[in-house]
Amino acid sequence: MNTGRLRTVLLLHRAALVVWAAFVLGSVAYQVWLTEVTADDVHATLAACRDTPSNYCGLWAAQDYSGPMGWISTFMYYGFWAVAAWSAGALIGRELESGTARLAWTQGVTPARWLADRLTVPALVLVIGGAVFVPVFRWAWSAHRDLMGDNWGFADVFAARGPLVVAYALCALAVGTLTALLVRRALPAMAVAVAVMIVLNRYVEKHRPDLWPTVGSDGGEPPATAWQLGDGLYHPASHFWPLHLIETGIVLAVAALAVAAAFLLLRHRTQPAHPPRQESPA
Amino acid sequence: MTRWLVRLHRPALVVWAVALVLVGGTLAWLWGPLTDAAAAAWRQYNACEASTCLYDQDAIIRYKDLYTYATFAVLAVPFLVAAWAGAALTGRELEQHTAELAWTQGVSPTRWLLAKLALPATLVTAGTGLLVLLHHQMWWAGESVIDNTKSWYDPPTFYAGGPITVALALAGLFAGALAGLVLRRSLAALGTAMVATGVLWAGVQWVLPHLWSPVTVVGSLRDQDPPGGGITVSTDLLTASGEHVGGTYCGRSDYPGECSDLYDRLGAVSWSRDHHPLSHYWPLQLTASAIVLAVAVLLALAAFRVTTARTRSASRSAS
Repeated sequence: MNTGRLRTVLLLHRAALVVWAAFVLGSVAYQVWLTEVTADDVHATLAACRDTPSNYCGLWAAQDYSGPMGWISTFMYYGFWAVAAWSAGALIGRELESGTARLAWTQGVTPARWLADRLTVPALVLVIGGAVFVPVFRWAWSAHRDLMGDNWGFADVFAARGPLVVAYALCALAVGTLTALLVRRALPAMAVAVAVMIVLNRYVEKHRPDLWPTVGSDGGEPPATAWQLGDGLYHPASHFWPLHLIETGIVLAVAALAVAAAFLLLRHRTQPAHPPRQESPA
Repeated sequence: MTRWLVRLHRPALVVWAVALVLVGGTLAWLWGPLTDAAAAAWRQYNACEASTCLYDQDAIIRYKDLYTYATFAVLAVPFLVAAWAGAALTGRELEQHTAELAWTQGVSPTRWLLAKLALPATLVTAGTGLLVLLHHQMWWAGESVIDNTKSWYDPPTFYAGGPITVALALAGLFAGALAGLVLRRSLAALGTAMVATGVLWAGVQWVLPHLWSPVTVVGSLRDQDPPGGGITVSTDLLTASGEHVGGTYCGRSDYPGECSDLYDRLGAVSWSRDHHPLSHYWPLQLTASAIVLAVAVLLALAAFRVTTARTRSASRSAS
């Protein structure tokens, strides 16, 4: 890929790039602060609770740490809503609506190249953001388990502890692009893309525990770190990676299908049924 | 002018009407048949004396699920109004310069903006007001007969059933209009308006407990929880000399060793909780609504100022 065109896409969408970078770096800095500073304050308060095995003592002090940690993973997980809206509206929909896409196609950029540039650059930016965020979140989330009331099976924590959170963002990018190419108007495309991604995510999340066989039908006692599913069934902590990677694969497969459909649709759209008349040179 | 506005935004009008019918219909359905069915199921359940009984569990689950969806749909209204106003009401016209065209055609900018805001503001107020009223009545109808209804101070329930959400929807509308006028770009205005509405809502939730003076109740440490439900402002332990000790919420003190040691060490003798009981529902709702409405008015005034300032500078540069 030619770096000039890569820079063009980055420049055109610099506002979105700044927002994303600020979000990733801000949440990383906040996690470091919470883990290194806030957690110590909470532990100091908890020291007053010594000799009290009750889980209640210090519960509210722990909120200062566990509350913001929960919000960070929630915002990162549901960030794909914003990615869907942005790709359908700002990335593709607006260029189709205003005709700048058509203009670009007459200026020597083939439609397929035009679309490839618009998908590759944001995809790279999302992957880099995820590569920065996920390791920091994994470290911060496991640093003070005693202060958190959650568990690795919580929807947002489950996704934010690995590549799944990036897979959802990439899928939203692809679905937003396909929707914009289908609808060809920015605002309706945004609404449809966000709605499609919410339904897809709800559906996959509902079947999340079924992606790997559960344990516990023999009535055994689940370990403390298990993700309990009711009726005595549970996933031990060792099931995290199989569950996580299978779902990542499913979401990426949907993304790949949407990308393929987008390219096919664009080719179909831009290849005229009758070849344009050739002007004779004379 | 009104007819022109209706024609221009016919899709939005249709979407708003369909949304009102869908969400309003769901709320009415919850209020009537679903409340009755869930209440009957709870009566069956509570009358049960054998070890296993037949009761209509589906009715209870259906009520709870639809209640959650309908509540979040009502809470989403201010955000969707803000998104639409930012993208479609003013942002797009300035992006495509059709607004400037209208201003040169004898429509004064102030009248242009007034026409753009008056009808949407009326429809948003009426529609959101209807949804909020239905939600409020629906929640009250289920409160005493369904055992697992949300408490009145559960934040989604509190906001979806009160006028604060109507005020927020109006503020979202004006925030969107202002963002469109300032940024002159449709999608940037959409994002800004939604974020502004979110910030306003978070701000309201943050100040709400402090908008009315709370009631202080003092209770025995033998109780599992501090006394007094409702919206909590603060919970403390009191020492014999009346001093407050905060942050160390344990459980009841009459289990030996559990929490009594801690309370002895701190010298605590009772709970003290500042809270808002149900009787503060309307004072809190109305004070918060008044504040949000004041913000909405400021946003609308700012939108008018931006419009007149813009046309004045445009006519100066033209002359």
